Amino acid sequence: MLWRILLFIWISAAMIAAFTWAPLVPVLEQTTRIVYFHVPAAWVTMVALGWSMLHSILYLWKRDLKHDDQAAAAAELGLLFCIVATISGAMWAKAMWGAYWNWDPRETSIFFVLLLYSAYLSLRGSIEGDEKRARLSAIYSILAGVAAPFLIYVVPRMYDTLHPDPIINTRGKVDMDSAIVICFMAMLVGFTFLFFWMQSLKVRATRLERLRQIHV
Amino acid sequence: MLQAGSNSAVAVWAILRKECRSEWRTRYGLNAALLFAVTALTAVSFSAGRLGDRQDLLASFFWIVLLFATLSSISHAFVREVEGHTLLMLRLVASPTQIALGKLLFNLLFLGVIELVTVPLFMVLMGAPAPHWGTFLTILLLGTLSLAASSTLVSAMIAQTRGRGALFAGVSLPVLLPVLAAAVGGTRGQWQSHDVTGEIKLLAAYAVALLAVSLLLYDHLWEE
Repeated sequence: MLWRILLFIWISAAMIAAFTWAPLVPVLEQTTRIVYFHVPAAWVTMVALGWSMLHSILYLWKRDLKHDDQAAAAAELGLLFCIVATISGAMWAKAMWGAYWNWDPRETSIFFVLLLYSAYLSLRGSIEGDEKRARLSAIYSILAGVAAPFLIYVVPRMYDTLHPDPIINTRGKVDMDSAIVICFMAMLVGFTFLFFWMQSLKVRATRLERLRQIHV
Repeated sequence: MLQAGSNSAVAVWAILRKECRSEWRTRYGLNAALLFAVTALTAVSFSAGRLGDRQDLLASFFWIVLLFATLSSISHAFVREVEGHTLLMLRLVASPTQIALGKLLFNLLFLGVIELVTVPLFMVLMGAPAPHWGTFLTILLLGTLSLAASSTLVSAMIAQTRGRGALFAGVSLPVLLPVLAAAVGGTRGQWQSHDVTGEIKLLAAYAVALLAVSLLLYDHLWEE
């Protein structure tokens, strides 16, 4: 209970600092602030994707349904954060590039992840039986895990991007102020903990649901 | 070991022959697929006209027609087994990997036949300039290999779901997007006489990755 309150205070403090304390970057102006929400959301999207795939592999290996619960919950939360990242990114693109959608390599990547999550969840929804659902979705998740690096890293690198990525690209065009870095890192940590908290809630809910079905 | 290896090769070969024979008996799948491919091609050609000087559009349309032809037809190899209640019998005589490999070879052959009809027809109807055959066929072959590898694995799963065919296209697409991106880029590049080594390497790497992961996953396809 205590750490949930701490998490709430942490994220609130980081949010307030992001709006009042952190300076703006010259070219980006007010849109600088998207970095505190959009990038952590995209980060959590990738964490959830990795988490889901890790547990899919674990499921095929151990055959324990608790891994499938983890994989499914991470995919649902990943889809949520992916939608947040996509919509906030599109709004930023409208402000900076003049169009909501342009098939910039980064937009292609995030759209691909969105498709992947949707396909995975629709596949889950159409399979009857816990074991079978877990097994087939794990197979699909691993297959998607092969496709993901190609679409997220290889294909976008074949084209030029306008996306500012000062974190990955150290020779980046945008020089980040230390206050921005502190707020950004604080939000990144906050979002990550938020994800794992929501994840544990979802997994527990799934487990209770299964118990209820057994007893009824 | 050698004995086991040759036994699986025999089983895979037997599955492939059985697939070809049962397909040839009705030719329902092949006819439907060919008809669909020609329909897609006609729709593109009729609405866009001749595009001889627009190689960028030609390459996109070319792969969209092939992608649609694949997505509309390939799933039937497994769906047929489930609907005819013959999968259980098949599993008694062969391991999941052998069945899936046999189906993969059959699907490759199937796509080859579709391409044999679609590709020349596309060239004629769209007024496409002569491609650099070596590069073009390499891209076509690698693209087909990836299409077949991904579709075989996905269709084996789709056959076990409630909707069967309905989900196939949607579930396949995310896995096929890298193929589409690299193949369209490569096909466009060879028409414009650009260097397409990067695209070919990407296609080859992806095909190998798909085949490798398929071989690891086939064993988990059926269990109960």
